[in-house]
Formats: sequence, structure tokens, C-alpha cells
Amino acid sequence: MVYAAMLYREPLPDDCPPDAAEEISEPRIVYRLVWHNPPADCDFRSQLAENPDLVLHYVTECQARGLSVYLTRADAERRALNGRLHGAMVGEVTLNRGAGRIAKTGTRSHHTWWPLADFNVTQNSRVV
Amino acid sequence: MKTIYPTAILDYYDGVLAFEGRDAIGGHYIGAAVKPEGGYDRYLITGARPERLRQFRSGALDLLTLLLEAPGGEWYIALTKSDPGNLLELEPQAGNIADAGELLPLPGYTLDDSPIDDLALEQALARNNVVFEFAAQPPESAAAHRIRMNTLGGLLLQVQQVVKYAHQNAVRELSDSAKRSIDTAGGYLMDVVVPATPGSYRVIMEAAQPPDLFGYGELARALERLDAVFAIAGHPDAALEMIQNYRGRLAGSFIKLMAFLAVNHTGLEYSWAYPSAKAARYGGVSEAGARRLTAALSGSSHLGREPVTLVGEFARVNRSRGDWGLLTDDGIKTGVIADNGPSLNGLQVGKIYRFDCLEDTELDAAGRERHTLYLHSFEAA
Repeated sequence: MVYAAMLYREPLPDDCPPDAAEEISEPRIVYRLVWHNPPADCDFRSQLAENPDLVLHYVTECQARGLSVYLTRADAERRALNGRLHGAMVGEVTLNRGAGRIAKTGTRSHHTWWPLADFNVTQNSRVV
Repeated sequence: MKTIYPTAILDYYDGVLAFEGRDAIGGHYIGAAVKPEGGYDRYLITGARPERLRQFRSGALDLLTLLLEAPGGEWYIALTKSDPGNLLELEPQAGNIADAGELLPLPGYTLDDSPIDDLALEQALARNNVVFEFAAQPPESAAAHRIRMNTLGGLLLQVQQVVKYAHQNAVRELSDSAKRSIDTAGGYLMDVVVPATPGSYRVIMEAAQPPDLFGYGELARALERLDAVFAIAGHPDAALEMIQNYRGRLAGSFIKLMAFLAVNHTGLEYSWAYPSAKAARYGGVSEAGARRLTAALSGSSHLGREPVTLVGEFARVNRSRGDWGLLTDDGIKTGVIADNGPSLNGLQVGKIYRFDCLEDTELDAAGRERHTLYLHSFEAA
């Protein structure tokens, strides 16, 4: 696998993020489930960063190297009821210019966010 | 050991949270993510009745209730140890599923509980497929819930034809590597699933081929292009210029659909969605709009003809009628000379030629395509 330049928090495969992903240029709020209060850097690791040996089923490497976020707090709160996410808290993340790129994936307000390496994730997030 | 194969991802958050699956004899299953174990994703899995699955997909039922209804009380755990594409092996679990504790989701975990006032999106979510619906308003429907058979049948055939060529047109723009990586064959085909919803002539169709696990299918690619073509309906004055972008079979099928609507005195409104769409997309044309477009595009039938180049042996000719036959690698191709086309005098039977033609495609009443090749120029090959 050939990786793109290391502009992002994690090495991404070719053609990732996809062309359809929007470059974040205006401030916006998204919600992500976190395990620490205040949110820690490790709350912003992709599933492949968490488990590099993970055999990917059903998703592309590009998606698995992005972070799931929701546009609504209610969507995030509902997912915390899932068995895999018991105990997670809802974190509010403020995305500004330079935060990276984002694309709608999955149903309803689910998006995948590919953060840039220089974006400070912990300074821009808080548990709500 | 019992095995299943996943058929649709129902929810995703840094990994699959819930999925739907089938076993070898068509039984339905629901899989719910639990805490990973040993670096593998882990799922609690039970059988599920199709109607209850549908209710879960549309947000009317929570996951806990669905899992606790496990037929026969049987429940399983599966680890995603195998390579992608392999069947998931289900490990039977002893005891009552209600006592599964932290393996179970909490009450209230639904896919969505906000109302959807969007028929196409609602259907797309419920069916987990790309859904297309259209409504027609022919004169006979004004007084009662009825529609001429020919109008309904014609609409279905003509709309499917435009979608087919919209798909071809869109696929043509993909890179070679993208074309290799996806299966586009038959991706434009639709099945009618609701012939006429009560109170309207709203016909609901879904992709004949199953979508990918996120519900996106090749049909969506075709319908995105359909939206682009129908944008012409809003600009009748620029129709001739805009249709140039789709010249060939797509333009031809669109022009014929507009003529069909005009002759049958009906407009056509449509919407479509795929499960992960933010909202349905809409398009259409009024009866008056179809008439204006038909008038604007009259005399431009050549735009609906597809350029085709043939190379083969000049096999037969009727010089007085202008009919010809060329034996190509794909068999014998026959056609006629186009208006202002070249004379066939001088061509020698048995020699190899390259024919540059335009191909016209007509639909017969049974929906079969009839192609006519018009020869515009030739040279020895």
C-alpha cells in the first residue's frame, strides 16, 4: 500500500479521503463518543490505529482510518446505548479551518472525519 | 457449526455496530456489536423475523427488544476472525439471552426515532436499498384512481430505458481502475415493489441488484445522472444546448420519454434515495414542460443517436435500397445509408472496411430494443 503525504493524523491510503469529502473551512460542532473526561488524545484514534492487526470486514481502509462523528448530540447519545459502546460519554468537538476533511457516511447524521495532524483535538473538545 | 453471511450494515461507529445477515437457507439474523475480544470485533447474534427486522431498520423497534425475541431463545456469539468475505461462524450460547448482561444493548438503542416525511428516504431505510419512485398525473387519474395500461406500461419501460442509459453514461466517465473495481453489469435494473400507493399513481421501485453493505448501489450512480439530465426540464430555452452533453443513447431515451409524456398528457415527478442519503432527491417535468421540451428538441433526433464504429468484411449490399451488412467480430451488423450519407457504389463485397455510423434505438411495445445503424462514412481497413 502506498501512503499519501503525512498531512493527516494517521497515514491514509491512496485516494483517501475521497473526493466527496469536504474540506472543513467554517467552524462547526460535531459529536464523538469519548472515554475520558476531559477528552484525551487516545479518544481520537481510528479503529485501525487502535488495533493495527484488525482484519477489516465490510469497510474500506480509508473509512477505518477516519473517525466517526455525528452532527447531532442525540445521534451520538443513542449509539452509547450499543453494547460495544457501554460507558462512553458524548464529546462535543469544534472543528475549525485546518481540522481536516469530513464526509457523510452511514445513515442519518453519521460522518467520517479525517483530522489533519496539526489540528489539536483535545483543545477543541469537551464532554457534554 | 452454523454460519451466516452479512447482507447489510445497519449502523456504524468506528466499526460495525449492527448488521443484518442470512444463513444458507435464507433465515434472517441480526448482529449487535459487543466489546471486542482479543483484537477481534465480536457480535451477539440471533435470528429475527423479517417484519421485526424491517421495524428495527425503520426505527420503530429497539435492538434490545429485537434480540430478546430470538426465535427458540437461541443466541450466538461470532468473532470476525476469518478473512473478509468468509462466512461468520456462530458459537451457540447457553442460558437465557435476557441474562446476557453487558452483551446486550441498553433499551432505546434504535436506528432512528425522528419522523421521516420523505417517502423515498423512508422506503430506502426500510428496504436498505436504493429506492426510486415516480408519480404520473394523466387525465384519467383526475376523476378516479385509475391509469391507462398503456400509459403505465409505457412509463415503466421508458423510465427504465433512460435510467439504463444514464448509468452507461455515468460509468463511461469512471477511470479504468474504478470500472475494474466495481460490478456495473445490470446495476441500472429496477424492480417494481409497490405498483401504486393508495391515493396516487406513485410507483415505487428498488434496485434489482442488492446494494453494498452501506446501502449504496450502482442504481444510485444512474439516478445521479438522471437528475442531471432532468435538470434540462427547468431550462427549455437552453434544452438544445444542454442535451448536447448527453448526446447518444441517453439523449435519445430522454427525448423519447418527453415525447411519450406529451402524447399521453401527463407530467412525471420522481424522487429517489439510498439509505445513507441526507434526504431524497427530486426531479421531474410537468405535462406542459414535456410539451415545450418536445417542441424545443424536435428536429434534433440525431443527438439521440450513438456514434458506432464497425470494422469487418463487407458481406452484403442492396445498392438500390441502400441496405448493407458488415461481418464483424460480433456477428453480422446491418444498416442503411444515412441521409446525405455516402454511396455504396464502389464498395467490394469480401473486402474489409471501417464504417462510421450513428445508431438509433427504439423500444417496441414489449420493451425490446430495436437498433438501426445509419452509415455516415467509410474507409478501407
